[in-house]
Amino acid sequence: MLSLSARPILSAFLPKPKPRRLLLLLRPRRSSASASALTPPTPRTTTPDPPEDADPTPLFLRPPTHPVPEASLAAFRRRAAALVPPSAPHLHRHLRWLLADASAPAPSGADPAAPHLLRAPLDELEALWLRHVRDRRPFQYVVGNEHWKDLVVAVRDGVLIPRPETETVVDMVAAVEGFQDGWWADLGTGSGAIAVAVARMLGPGGRVFATDVSEVAVEVARLNVQRYGVQDKVEIRRGSWFEPLEDVKGKLMGVISNPPYIPTDDLPGLQPEVGWHEPKLALDGGKDGLDHLLHLCEGLSSALMPGGFFVFETNGNKQSEFLVDFISTKWSSSFCDVEAVLDFADIKRFVRGYRR
Amino acid sequence: MAARALLLRATARCCSPLHSPTAAPRLHPRLRSHAAAAAPQLRFPALSFSASAASTSSHGPSGGDAGEGEDDKGAYENYLGMSDDELMAQCDMGTFKSSGPGGQHRNKRESAVRLRHHPTGIVAQAVEDRSQHKNRSSALSRLRTLIALKVRRPINLDNYTPPVELLQILPLKSTIRSKDVGSQIGPNNPKFSPGMQALLDLLFAVEGSVSEAAKILGLSTGALSRLILSDDSLRAAANELRASKGLKPLR
Repeated sequence: MLSLSARPILSAFLPKPKPRRLLLLLRPRRSSASASALTPPTPRTTTPDPPEDADPTPLFLRPPTHPVPEASLAAFRRRAAALVPPSAPHLHRHLRWLLADASAPAPSGADPAAPHLLRAPLDELEALWLRHVRDRRPFQYVVGNEHWKDLVVAVRDGVLIPRPETETVVDMVAAVEGFQDGWWADLGTGSGAIAVAVARMLGPGGRVFATDVSEVAVEVARLNVQRYGVQDKVEIRRGSWFEPLEDVKGKLMGVISNPPYIPTDDLPGLQPEVGWHEPKLALDGGKDGLDHLLHLCEGLSSALMPGGFFVFETNGNKQSEFLVDFISTKWSSSFCDVEAVLDFADIKRFVRGYRR
Repeated sequence: MAARALLLRATARCCSPLHSPTAAPRLHPRLRSHAAAAAPQLRFPALSFSASAASTSSHGPSGGDAGEGEDDKGAYENYLGMSDDELMAQCDMGTFKSSGPGGQHRNKRESAVRLRHHPTGIVAQAVEDRSQHKNRSSALSRLRTLIALKVRRPINLDNYTPPVELLQILPLKSTIRSKDVGSQIGPNNPKFSPGMQALLDLLFAVEGSVSEAAKILGLSTGALSRLILSDDSLRAAANELRASKGLKPLR
């Protein structure tokens, strides 16, 4: 630990000798690693990040058992800040947040000279930081959480990081008359963010059935449900879309989903944090991006009770317009008040409506 | 302090038409014309005042008291008396750098929020927090401060009584301040904004004269100057107003 603090400042351009463990993590993983940080090279064809962290517990939830002297921490802070390119000033903010999430809250009246307690050894933090800055691994995977609505949602590799746009879905649920005591389905729940946020608003009769086909998603969603103590309101079921919900068919007050909707051809152009690291399973919507959305529409009328509500997130304007048109013409007898809803950037991000 | 400084920077960048030295007087007729044009559809927030504002009416829409010479005061919206939801309904929200397809396409942890208040054109933003949710509420409280600083409502000095929000921010030694007004509210309290707005309204009505305003508020000129100087954004707004009247800045 002490030897680390004495190391010269790392530079993005002049790699210094490092312990073998770091070297292993620093090995370029793409032939295109030298390309500009702003031009996304072809995404890796392998699955997103293999689980490098020996400990699957998100960093911010690990016990703070690693004492680090103030001087070492300050030296780390300097080395880490020196890696931030001028083109990415927001990374300084991430560094602050990383240290906040990795530190135990200082007890009041603590001796300022006492060593800091970190949730991971300093060399591990250093490796995590490098992978964020150089490999564009999403910051949320580094610390293991995303601040979403008033929640701190645990995430890890293999599960989609909840987006700020999706917060609106929860508000739309809250606007449905009598939502508190209804049964709701969150299909493709991922981290469980929507399911937990909805569950927290429900009354005694309310329930959320959250499904996901991914085992990692189911695990992470369980963790989030537990962390917010809504086990009695959220039931997580593993399976594809409506499949695990045969027994509640026709009884649902609402169906919510943020399914994969990005057209396959757009995947290579995604921001590296997304395209290189987030699960394709949660992003790839097929040729037009509509594969899963259409499947969801097909299942709606038998899943919802009469008068039931649905809302889906989409890729934006064109997809939303198409779906509104499609549902209102093909199933005009089954649905009403079908409309596209804008997100905060004025993109038609959501499609919602009611079963007749 | 840092937050206030940021706020003023945001104002300078986003509201430049309102920010030129002569802008304060110009905002007034602009608001008037807006209010007149929109009068038929105006929602009068008096109906849903939050508890903190409900006790005051001296500058709010005056309802049915048309006979009291309150003339057109009712045409001025009391934005700061609106609830967060009502105020939000008058705003456009965009991310600071809103671009690209968004949604699943994008990973953006900064969660910057930018609110544009339609009736006044004022823009407020917040980027500091990790949650967009929290940034939205800080942008909203910043918007309230900006409205207080930028939106001037006319005062009829002949029958002027300072509203209670203004009394609340005055030092206890003010001779027009009765005991039941309670303790003095400082710049860090969210209720400071409505008081600050009323103080600037008064200062505007007396052509920027601090001694004149101090007389009306039962304070010495020095005491009122100290109050104005106690908050950076209030001082800046007061000095801008004084500059537009050809007066020297307070220091």
